[in-house]
Amino acid sequence: MALLKLENVTKRFGGLVAVDKVSLEIQPGEFIGIVGPNGSGKTTLFNVINGVYRPEEGKVIFDGKDITRMPAFKRTPLGLGRTFQIPRPFGSASVRENVAIGAMFGTLADKVTVDNALEIADRYINMVGLEAYRDKAAGTLTPVEKKLMEIARALAMRPKLLLMDEAMAGMNPKDIDGMVKFIKRIKEEEKIAIVSMVEHIMRAVAGLAERVVVMNQGAKLVDAKTEEALTDPRVVEVYLGHPADESKWRSDVWKEVRNKDE
Amino acid sequence: MKKTLPKYYPLIPVFAAYLIMFLVGFSIPGMWQMVALLAFYCALGQSWNIFMGMTGYVDFGYVTFIALGTYGMSLGITYLSQYEWLGIGIIVIGFILALFLASLSALLEAFIALRLRGAYFAIACIGINEGLRYLIEGAKFWGGSEGLIFFGALVQALGRETVNQLTTFWADFSVFIIAALAAFLNMHYMRSKIGYALTAVREDEDAAKVMGINANKYKTIAFLTSGWLGAAVGAMAWGLKLGYVYPGDVFVIHYTVECIVVVLLGGAGTLLGPVIGGLIYGLSKYWLAVIMPGFQLLIFAPIIIIIIVVAPEGVVGLLKSKLKGTKLEMFIE
Ligand SMILES: Nc1ncnc2c1ncn2[C@@H]1O[C@H](COP(=O)(O)OP(=O)(O)O)[C@@H](O)[C@H]1O
Ligand SMILES: [Mg+2]
Repeated sequence: MALLKLENVTKRFGGLVAVDKVSLEIQPGEFIGIVGPNGSGKTTLFNVINGVYRPEEGKVIFDGKDITRMPAFKRTPLGLGRTFQIPRPFGSASVRENVAIGAMFGTLADKVTVDNALEIADRYINMVGLEAYRDKAAGTLTPVEKKLMEIARALAMRPKLLLMDEAMAGMNPKDIDGMVKFIKRIKEEEKIAIVSMVEHIMRAVAGLAERVVVMNQGAKLVDAKTEEALTDPRVVEVYLGHPADESKWRSDVWKEVRNKDE
Repeated sequence: MKKTLPKYYPLIPVFAAYLIMFLVGFSIPGMWQMVALLAFYCALGQSWNIFMGMTGYVDFGYVTFIALGTYGMSLGITYLSQYEWLGIGIIVIGFILALFLASLSALLEAFIALRLRGAYFAIACIGINEGLRYLIEGAKFWGGSEGLIFFGALVQALGRETVNQLTTFWADFSVFIIAALAAFLNMHYMRSKIGYALTAVREDEDAAKVMGINANKYKTIAFLTSGWLGAAVGAMAWGLKLGYVYPGDVFVIHYTVECIVVVLLGGAGTLLGPVIGGLIYGLSKYWLAVIMPGFQLLIFAPIIIIIIVVAPEGVVGLLKSKLKGTKLEMFIE
């Protein structure tokens, strides 16, 4: 059974169709990349999945349960974790408290005490390498540290599905490399499904994802295995704005992927 | 890994202060009335602070809880004193009635708070307070503007001796207990999931919801707790102690302002703040009334302004920064 199933989901803002009849299935443990230019509806799709917005049409089914109308705070304990495109730390609270909040109200909500949650927090803070900042106010972290803190917080929720919104946006190549290695490790150690969305087709997605969904103007353009998706002529057109020299595009993309695998 | 036990150390100075106040009042002749007044301000500050410190909502209508608490006790005694077999039970029932009325009001305010924020919330709460007062006066229920006068009924039901003890000692003593309970609950909440949840909600409510936090539930818990404590103070310090209640005496925003001043002086959102604020405010008010009756406010207003300018985080904020890095740090919160 699919872990997450979207059926013809449409979300409008006034006259603007931000998400346009998107259907999607995600299997347990799968790693999917969602790519699409700025404004193509990726963040809105996340917001519909975890309940920030209700779609005007369509259904969201998680773990066999129809959660289309369920408020956000009730969905999270079912196993939905996420990070934000622009990090949203609880600024005055320490890194440790932030991550502990994830553990306290995630899938373990009924089982953990505050002390357990703080222990779980320590584990994930070490995993993302922020142990030196444990007791620092989360609001004072750098943007990259905030992204890491948010991943730790989302992992501490022990989700079945982790939604990462532009985990690597605004990072330099070195940080991106670190993040790619790190996400690989999450995938191996945590055995959870991950949806990572990025604006540009980056080697990160190419090297990590088993499947890529390409979005354009709110609609799903392509949903295929990574190599196929990234070299699909329609995708090339979306990114270059005109039909391209396909063989050059293909070789560029694959050069990046090969670099990634060393 | 180091195990973090719930640390309740910051309660020590708070409880110590209440104990010393109590002992001073109990053992030094003539001090009880003053100490009782101080305890009253500390208890109100401590109770209001739970609401404000944990949820970030500034409740200008807080006095509604105190007033409804007073009415709960007054109604209980007025209508039940005829049943002699109830004995001291009428006070217990009055107290429960006080908590019940406060619950209704807290749920109403929570309902509003889930829709309105900031100044709109403050104004709505003032509106409830004024509305209730005019409702009682206009619709003439609960004694209307005539109020309820039940001291005589109380004496008849329980005897002069018992009533004397109740009004001169137990009513005041219970305010100490309420203040200490308020401090304990505040600390306990800060150390439990409620505290973490409300921190998240205060910082970013929408993100908190995405983290799985039922914001409305935790806000309502804080509102109810704060309201119950305020009602308890009203029931004992106003209802039981005075033996009467007039709507025009209790639904008075002035008392909310006093709560706010107490908390701001001491340090908003801190545990020790209301104690220190209550002491400073209560003492100055008491002494100024003795030395210069009528001029209290004239002198008091600039003192408050100076303290707030010098120590925008209150006295406790000042104390915290002074003690940072020392062993005493863990006792101050
Ligand atoms: N809350 C909102 N109100 C109105 N329009 C919105 C809102 N959120 C997103 N949009 C619009 O929806 C479209 C998709 O945005 P978004 O999902 O953020 O895209 P992406 O994450 O792919 O960059 C954009 O045109 C954006 O302006
Ligand atoms: Mg986006």
